[in-house]
Amino acid sequence: MDEFLVEIAEILEEDTVKPTDLMDSFSSWDSLAVLSVIAMAGANFGNTLSSREVSGAATVQDLYDLIITKKTVV
Amino acid sequence: MKLSFANKKISGMLTVLPANERSFIDEMANFNFPPARSLKLKEVMGYDKHRIVDGPVCVSDLAVFGMEHLFASGLLRRDEVDAIVLVTQSPDYFMPATSNVIQGRLGLGSDVYCVDINQGCAGFLVGLTQGFMLLDQPAIRKVVLINADVMSRKVSPRDRNSFPLIGDAASITILEKSVDAAPVVGSIKMDGCRRAALMIPAGGFRLPSDASTQLMEQDGDGNFRSKDHLVMDGSAVFNFVLTEVPLMIEELLESTGTAIDSIDAFLFHQPNRFMLNKLADRLKVPREKMPSNVVEHFGNASGVTIPLATVFNHRAHLRDHTMRVCLAGFGVGLTWSAMLMELGPLQFCEMIDYP
Repeated sequence: MDEFLVEIAEILEEDTVKPTDLMDSFSSWDSLAVLSVIAMAGANFGNTLSSREVSGAATVQDLYDLIITKKTVV
Repeated sequence: MKLSFANKKISGMLTVLPANERSFIDEMANFNFPPARSLKLKEVMGYDKHRIVDGPVCVSDLAVFGMEHLFASGLLRRDEVDAIVLVTQSPDYFMPATSNVIQGRLGLGSDVYCVDINQGCAGFLVGLTQGFMLLDQPAIRKVVLINADVMSRKVSPRDRNSFPLIGDAASITILEKSVDAAPVVGSIKMDGCRRAALMIPAGGFRLPSDASTQLMEQDGDGNFRSKDHLVMDGSAVFNFVLTEVPLMIEELLESTGTAIDSIDAFLFHQPNRFMLNKLADRLKVPREKMPSNVVEHFGNASGVTIPLATVFNHRAHLRDHTMRVCLAGFGVGLTWSAMLMELGPLQFCEMIDYP
């Protein structure tokens, strides 16, 4: 989870993020950030997410669950 | 599908770019996004300058200008042109074919085979495939492959998904027979089930253009476009490319026993810098071997991007030397294709501006 939080913080251009943070509270949470999450999930977790799934995440925890649930053994 | 061609080569490449240059910074005000986020997008995607036609310039205008340049420079003779393969998504008319328009405007005579192909970002490879096959005809000595698009005329200026990266351009590639040419091997796949990822919904016979298709509508991301405009599902295209293209190239390299180190350049379609860097990383190709600088200088002109990446980055070298290259195009259709070939020395390899 820690490593994941660092990746998400970097994408959102924040120093740190917490699992309970609301995605909409970040001014940088836009289509570019969504694409960056999709790219990160593909490169680090080997899975394919749609922008609809990623944009549907309300919190950082939701995003984590989405990526981990979808995680495939490479 | 596997492809292979013997005794055929590319002997010359010319690109034609509209002189009209636009900059992302100037256009940011058209987008419904905070400037700081647009600047971030510029940095990540490599958006900067792009070339688009100024006014009602058509594909045949760019193509005829380039062909006349080749004739006037003595790089091609009119009587050598046995076939014109035009790849475009922005034809002058529904009918007749724009390749016929080009033939007629150039006064090439009636002994020329003309064909239009509707393909986009994989269009250079589809055009090569068609052109190489035509060279099997004894009567065809040289094929002129023209890739040309003026898609800026079909992209909403208020669509930050597509407008910053769009470019207009033409390329002219000469294909001919050569007894000592190295074999060209490749692969091509298509998937019409995913056709909605990149399309212009209106203007054809399925949904003719009328007042309702011109209405500007906002999408969920804050972009404005109408049904007459190009629409791209950016994340679907991104996932498609990152999934299918590395797989195809790895198979091609493996089936031909080719090591990545033995390839001098990976000349890929140029959607944006972000996607090309991700492709290079996934394929474990050093980024310096895969140019990603076409979008920032000229924009993405569909099938012209591979010739443009080649000419812009390697024109000095290719006039006298041979490079072992891996080409890849991917996009609308969906269509994706890759080829391994030896390129050069080329009789000509240059870029000119359309005034």
